[in-house]
Amino acid sequence: MIFAGIDAGSRTIKVVLYDDNGCRVVASGIKDQGVRQVDLAKAVFDEVTEKAGIERKNVGRIVATGYGRTAIDFANTTITEITCHACGVHHWMPDARTVVDIGGQDSKLLRLEPDGRVRDFVMNDRCAAGTGRFLEVVAERLGVRVGDLGALAQMATNACAISSMCVVFAETEIIGLLASGETPENIVAGVQASITSRIASMAGRSVAEPVVFTGGVALIPGMDKALESALGRKVAVCSEPQLTGALGAAILAARGD
Amino acid sequence: MNTEPLQITIAEWDQRFVEMQREGFFQPEYGGQLSRHLSDGDSRLAKLRYDNSPSSLNLWNFLLTEEDRLQKYKQEGRKIVGAMKDLGTVPVMAYSLPNVTAFYPDGAWWIPCVMELNSSVLAVADSLGIDESFCPVRAMLGAFVNKAHFPPPDLLVCSVGATCDDFSAIAQRLNGLGYPILWWEIPHRRMAGRDEETVILPGGFKCSREQVRFVEIELGRVKKAIEEIAGDEITDSRLNDGIGIANRVRDVLRELRRLVFTARLAPLPSLELLIAEMFAIHFCSDRKEAFNILSNLLVEVRKRVSEGKGYFGLDAVKVFWVNPVADLRVMNLLEDCGGRICGTDYLFCHALDEIPVGVPPMEALAMMALADPMTGSTGDRATRICNDINLFGAEAVIVSRIPGASHCALEGAIIAERVSSELQLPVVELEVPPLTDSIMPSLSTRISALVETALSCRGKRRVR
Repeated sequence: MIFAGIDAGSRTIKVVLYDDNGCRVVASGIKDQGVRQVDLAKAVFDEVTEKAGIERKNVGRIVATGYGRTAIDFANTTITEITCHACGVHHWMPDARTVVDIGGQDSKLLRLEPDGRVRDFVMNDRCAAGTGRFLEVVAERLGVRVGDLGALAQMATNACAISSMCVVFAETEIIGLLASGETPENIVAGVQASITSRIASMAGRSVAEPVVFTGGVALIPGMDKALESALGRKVAVCSEPQLTGALGAAILAARGD
Repeated sequence: MNTEPLQITIAEWDQRFVEMQREGFFQPEYGGQLSRHLSDGDSRLAKLRYDNSPSSLNLWNFLLTEEDRLQKYKQEGRKIVGAMKDLGTVPVMAYSLPNVTAFYPDGAWWIPCVMELNSSVLAVADSLGIDESFCPVRAMLGAFVNKAHFPPPDLLVCSVGATCDDFSAIAQRLNGLGYPILWWEIPHRRMAGRDEETVILPGGFKCSREQVRFVEIELGRVKKAIEEIAGDEITDSRLNDGIGIANRVRDVLRELRRLVFTARLAPLPSLELLIAEMFAIHFCSDRKEAFNILSNLLVEVRKRVSEGKGYFGLDAVKVFWVNPVADLRVMNLLEDCGGRICGTDYLFCHALDEIPVGVPPMEALAMMALADPMTGSTGDRATRICNDINLFGAEAVIVSRIPGASHCALEGAIIAERVSSELQLPVVELEVPPLTDSIMPSLSTRISALVETALSCRGKRRVR
């Protein structure tokens, strides 16, 4: 039977169709978020089911997750992104003990039991400094696409120290660095280090391995290395990191959770 | 009239109040429709959901009329003592005299929690240079300056030392504004040395006999000052009576907590229990009525438990809550997310313990003051929390923080780590500012995730 997971994140809406017989992803889709979340979610869902050649009536259950989960009125139930990310990561990497998810608006660190259940979790709740939003602000300021930040960072010779704990102040700091002749490459590498050091501070002392990196920010080249350096642990990027939450939601839909 | 436990809005309370009147329910002097407090500026009340029992209505009305009572007492010529920071000790002493009332000006931090921005207390504190980077107790400065919330006390006393640095700074600022304060010192609680006698304090903490003697002397100075403004003597006999009455209030609260935390169905929502617990510190300026209200609430809770009635279903996850919240809506949110309260440490749990009897009364109060969680190490506090979690059977823990309150920020991580490593329970830290409306989805996600995590642990335990 086919089940669906919808992850209504702050930046994008993701849909995954999951076949519980083969334990496999049948189809998936992603669209940028907008004002009318539920319409967007329906549109992505329709697109994905059409692509897979599956009629709506043949989709067993739908679980919505993510920041906008409660708006998805055609879902059967909602489950938080913490539980869904854990489940999605466990599907791809059953050995994972720590999950770092850096999304557009928040970041979280999950500690998992050997069977994939969440043991506990921490989330940033102060500002955008440890999130993908920081990268967007920097990309805008430097006039490059977010997707190109990784390539820039890899050319850095000496990452800048970004001392501000706040994205708005950090932006001012970046303007100052540019004015003083610092290269965009070094600035981007500094921002990556700043984001990951926030994650490390959130993680505290106990970070069990293997550590798996998920969420949209995991797609940006160099972020995994920055995270490895901040945590002092090897970090593996999850398969299709943007879809982990939606996949977990679909798997939980299949389980009847 | 529906008597099933039900959480209702303030508007629904108005309808119910009319029904209660029709049925002849007695209303005390401070009673009336809950919505009348909205016109006093307590606009936050409109966003809460309340227990529908008449006992709970009295609880709220009593709490929300404390300012009126204090003004009335002042006009009647009673002496008003403003006790600061000790949380539960000085009022016991003050109430031992018939013409003295005590209250906590630091409780003004609560004003924005019910009045949102309708009160200017925070704006006044801002104008004095004490901005939001400081503990919300800064609201106290505004309340002193605008004189709108309590009458000027005849005596201001404040414990200092091993209490709270934020608070000391703010109280010193108040002192600088021209309010004389009698400072009394509370030392950091420590274990007895090799040649010292150990004293076991209420709640199980230990300290040296020397420290108890020191605090007794310090409290003696406070006693003398109260006697001077009252023109009356606080005899041991009066103090013993006062301790006896305080202990009766504490007995009722302990039983109320036990029933709420351990009943199969929660007989009372977390919000009303939080309000009830606060009565232990200051009695809302009327010891006798505070006792009556809590006793009636206990009767209601016992009745619900015996009839198997309650809230939130049998599956609700039992959550232990550490630190008070600045926005009461979050207590409702806990239950919306599938939790129920099962143990609390709002930083004044020592005020729920029995004041020692069978020892000289001033010594008993000194022991009480030293039992304050804030006077000892965070490790001590974490030990007590872990013991209470085991006692009540909580499945998950929320450690809340109030922005600017350094105690919450500095202790939270230590408590969370200890609970997690010692009891293997899921813990989440939440920052709860006075107005959470814009961050409700984020708070909801955290609490829901904690509930989901606890439920998955429960499933695992069943499998085992």
